[in-house]
Amino acid sequence: MRLVSLASAARPYPENVSTQPLIASDVDVATRTGDVWITLVWNDPVNLMSYVTHVFQSYFGWSRAEAERRMHEVHEKGKTVVSSGARERMEVDVQAMHGFGLWATLQTSGE
Amino acid sequence: MRGFQAVADVTEPDAAVAELDAEERAVIARVVADVGLLLGGEPFGMESEVVDDGEDPVFRYLRGLENALTDPADPAVLRVLPNAAPDDREVADEFRRFTEPELRTLKVDRLRRIWHALSDDGPEWVVPAAEAMDTAAALTDIRLVLASRLGLETDEDAAELHARIDRAHDSSTGAHAAHEAENPERVWLGMLYEALTWLQESLMSYVMRDDV
Repeated sequence: MRLVSLASAARPYPENVSTQPLIASDVDVATRTGDVWITLVWNDPVNLMSYVTHVFQSYFGWSRAEAERRMHEVHEKGKTVVSSGARERMEVDVQAMHGFGLWATLQTSGE
Repeated sequence: MRGFQAVADVTEPDAAVAELDAEERAVIARVVADVGLLLGGEPFGMESEVVDDGEDPVFRYLRGLENALTDPADPAVLRVLPNAAPDDREVADEFRRFTEPELRTLKVDRLRRIWHALSDDGPEWVVPAAEAMDTAAALTDIRLVLASRLGLETDEDAAELHARIDRAHDSSTGAHAAHEAENPERVWLGMLYEALTWLQESLMSYVMRDDV
């Protein structure tokens, strides 16, 4: 790994750029299919309001007031969007929420 | 039973302590162990015997992966390990494949820690500050399983259970005759659910005592 990266770093930069049209378009496709994803947390009859508030505070770093506002949104509207970004990032958040026993899902934001 | 309260003494400078009598302790330890089994863990307290069953650890791991290919058939397990993308089978299956073994391990391990804490002698259930959220999360998993068995799907179902358990309490103390025949096992599960809810609520008061 180290040898390879040293070698490529030593190569003149413009030469690299000029030989990579294919790779560049691959990246485009990857970002397009990735798009923006969102993580939703859904209401359920089991999770305590205090517990959900504290999970939101501790995991997302929100203030208690913000965490409570979002918790109430889940309770009253049935769900709230807790995060958005790349799919892989949302999978991390959904896994964390499932770890806490909250019912979370991910989807693309356009749906 | 006494809910969790903050204590500070020489051995535990920061901890929450609840008090349970021997029967309450045994009942909670039992349901902790049952949920551990349900999530595919080895029986708590018997780990060494089971490890000796001759099954190759690699096969055990592969079996775990096999379990993670589709949604669990048991609705209670599905509540603890929910579908991450109900409208997109491919996303849901991929998420399950990559995360489920790890989530099961996380959940079984923290249930096992509670089981060991409850297996200590004495009426006190001591939860050190650093273990408090893991304990609350494990209580959530147990309550999710019980709620599924009790058919609690909406907030109204939960409120109705609460009212029914109150009535059952009244009739058991002779204050009122039971107006309807209740399935005793259901009443028992409901009481356990309510007791764990109350314990978790007291634990959260401790966890959130300084939240701003």
